[in-house]
Amino acid sequence: MSEELRKKMAQSIIDGDVDTAVALAKESIATGMEPMDAISNGFVAGVNEVGDAFGRGEMFLPELVMAGEAMKAAVATLDPELRKRGTERRKLGKVVIATVEGDIHEIGKTLVTIMMSSSGFEVFDLGVDCPAEKIIGKALEINADIIAMSALLTTTMIRQKEVIDELEKEGLRGKFKVMVGGAPITRDWVKYIGADGYSEDAVGAVVVAKQLVGAVD
Amino acid sequence: MAFATLLTDEQVKRTHEASLEILENVGLLVRNEKARSIFFKHGAKVDPESHIVKLPRAVTEKYIKMLQPTFTFRGRDPKFDKTIPKDSPVIVTGSSAPDIIDPLTGQERRARSDDIARIAHLINELPAYDMFSISTLADDAPPGQFTLARLYPATKYCVKPIRNTTKDMDDIQAIMKLLYAVAGGKEAYFERPFVTHHYCPVVSPLTMDQLSTEAIIYFSELGLPVYPTIVPNAGLTSPMSMAGTLAQGNAEFLAAAVLMQMVREGTQTIYASLPTVADMRSGAYASGGIECGMLHMAFAQLARFYNVPCGGYVGLTNSKINDAQMGYETGMSVVEGILGGMDMFNMGGLLDALKAFNFAKAVIDDEIAQMLKRVKRGIAFSEEELAVDVIAKVKPGGSFLMEPHTVKRMKNEALLTKLADRDARPIWEKKGSLDIEAHAKLKVDEILSHNTQSLLSDEQEARVRAEFKDLIPGMLEILQPQ
Ligand code: B12
Repeated sequence: MSEELRKKMAQSIIDGDVDTAVALAKESIATGMEPMDAISNGFVAGVNEVGDAFGRGEMFLPELVMAGEAMKAAVATLDPELRKRGTERRKLGKVVIATVEGDIHEIGKTLVTIMMSSSGFEVFDLGVDCPAEKIIGKALEINADIIAMSALLTTTMIRQKEVIDELEKEGLRGKFKVMVGGAPITRDWVKYIGADGYSEDAVGAVVVAKQLVGAVD
Repeated sequence: MAFATLLTDEQVKRTHEASLEILENVGLLVRNEKARSIFFKHGAKVDPESHIVKLPRAVTEKYIKMLQPTFTFRGRDPKFDKTIPKDSPVIVTGSSAPDIIDPLTGQERRARSDDIARIAHLINELPAYDMFSISTLADDAPPGQFTLARLYPATKYCVKPIRNTTKDMDDIQAIMKLLYAVAGGKEAYFERPFVTHHYCPVVSPLTMDQLSTEAIIYFSELGLPVYPTIVPNAGLTSPMSMAGTLAQGNAEFLAAAVLMQMVREGTQTIYASLPTVADMRSGAYASGGIECGMLHMAFAQLARFYNVPCGGYVGLTNSKINDAQMGYETGMSVVEGILGGMDMFNMGGLLDALKAFNFAKAVIDDEIAQMLKRVKRGIAFSEEELAVDVIAKVKPGGSFLMEPHTVKRMKNEALLTKLADRDARPIWEKKGSLDIEAHAKLKVDEILSHNTQSLLSDEQEARVRAEFKDLIPGMLEILQPQ
């Protein structure tokens, strides 16, 4: 009975079906299933399957995002129960993301935003052509864990460094983890500017972000 | 030559109608204030809060009528001038790659101004290239010389038409000084503007950017050659359907083209695009996809509907090396383009979705481009070409080898490729079993070791140096193994 329920939970994630995922979460509460059991052995099994299928090129980006949305909805439904038991799942963290000043390339940054938010980060996307003050201001305002910056031009990469330098100058560097990315970014550059994280793609960005906030999968 | 089509006439018309609807009802977000006021002055509806500009049908139609049927590229040497569609296909290098595959180490690294000097000479010498769009950036550019460090070595080693882009208005002022100095004054330059300016003013979906829109307006006002490229990426920045991507992309082209006519009636432009369908398994930029050429074929139909020359980025590859993937991605999309009636091919020299320049690739693309020009020349047709009399004379079982009809045509009927290997295997082995990249590299070395003197006269050089005291050397040196 509960084995079947767990299977359905996994499937609802694979299908990216928010309504079914929520309904199944409610059903598990009604039948007295432990919420951690529902998450770890039900829904997460679906997330893992989706991740594998994506890696094999069988699952597509929008499906990945939909699966993330279904997962978020299921966890939100179980949240009150978790809280009652004091086993509240830790929120992954808050991210401020932007394409840096002078740069209007949006696609890569938006993909990173979508992947991060569907993985459970709370992401504040400031759009493109975003000056340092705005990025830092927003990070302070929402008490962000991570500042993430995209740059697609060799001429605008330097803005990533400027933001880090500015944080350093204001004594704020310790407050935020800084992630950078974009086609011209190299590992040498990441090291040179002293960023905390980098990834060449959006899926990797989530892995790195999780590491940075100390969350393990 | 009759062009291959993917859309029916009705579908072209419906796409046009759909674009007019998009312009009238959805509009564009226009970030540049000057552009907004130009649109407003010429009858567009501009929302002062949201900065959305909507173009009533009648307004769009009025300016479409002003589109010019030709576009002219000028070289420093007039013998390289080209006007499309008359001189189609015009073959151009791909441009602005941040990186280069180092010809000595084979490793990818940031490109420099001295690389541009070598590339400029190569493109000047390779026969199929009609225009040099500056292939890479110059990572060694000192402050204030971002584009100077690219354009100066380009003018020094290439007298074919040059295509150039800039960062901001200061950058534009700097390059104009350079161009006037080379030409011998502003007036002289305006008589023969040998640089065609290029920007991507539209950020799909339906957004007009600040600086590149400013630049398009600036050059249109001056009457200097300039054109925009429209870059929709289906699934991410335009609808996942090719038809939807055409409707939106066409609306975006019309918005840019209409703006140029509003600035100056009769401004020449090109219906240029870089259309792709995103790889939705990862979001990857699939510029090597077969759909790029298909979309170009359809955009070419729309361009003919408006009677304006067309083209854009094509023959691009996602491959990182000169392998079979590079060959088939480049080859297939440009064949689509030539059969579909593209006038301008921004196609040469880049690997990895426009991210890295490779010398051998530029040479291989030159041969591919010669093939395109051969296709465009078509099949000569006359009674003499039909050769019924020659066939009768040779009779069944005879040979055409020594026929005067053969001798007269043997050097021209087929394209005599210089890189592609046609030897028998034992001979190929005896010659070192070279693959296409090895052949191309030999050609690169040959070109880079001959006639590498500067193509600027002493006076031109002196004028340039007087204008810019600390300009980069921009010298062509042959890279030597250390
Ligand atoms: C599409 C495109 C455009 C579109 C952008 C549309 C949009 N809404 O974003 C348009 C046409 C508007 C455009 C404009 C310009 N572009 Co452009 N553009 C590209 C192109 C072809 C693809 C970029 C893309 O979307 N890739 C797909 C996404 C999915 O990949 P991605 O961005 O790399 O992101 C992935 C990773 O990098 C990573 N990532 C990205 N950000 C982040 C952030 C973090 C924190 C992390 C961890 C990871 C991460 O994850 C992403 C997903 O996997 C690139 C070439 C290329 N292959 O990169 C040129 C390119 C970047 N552009 C270039 C140029 C020159 C320009 C223009 C200057 C052209 C002009 N003269 O007008 C303008 C720039 C204006 C400006 N001020 O910014 C050059 C760069 C030269 C340089 N200086 O470095 C390139 C290399 C092409 C070329 N050779 O000309 N461009």
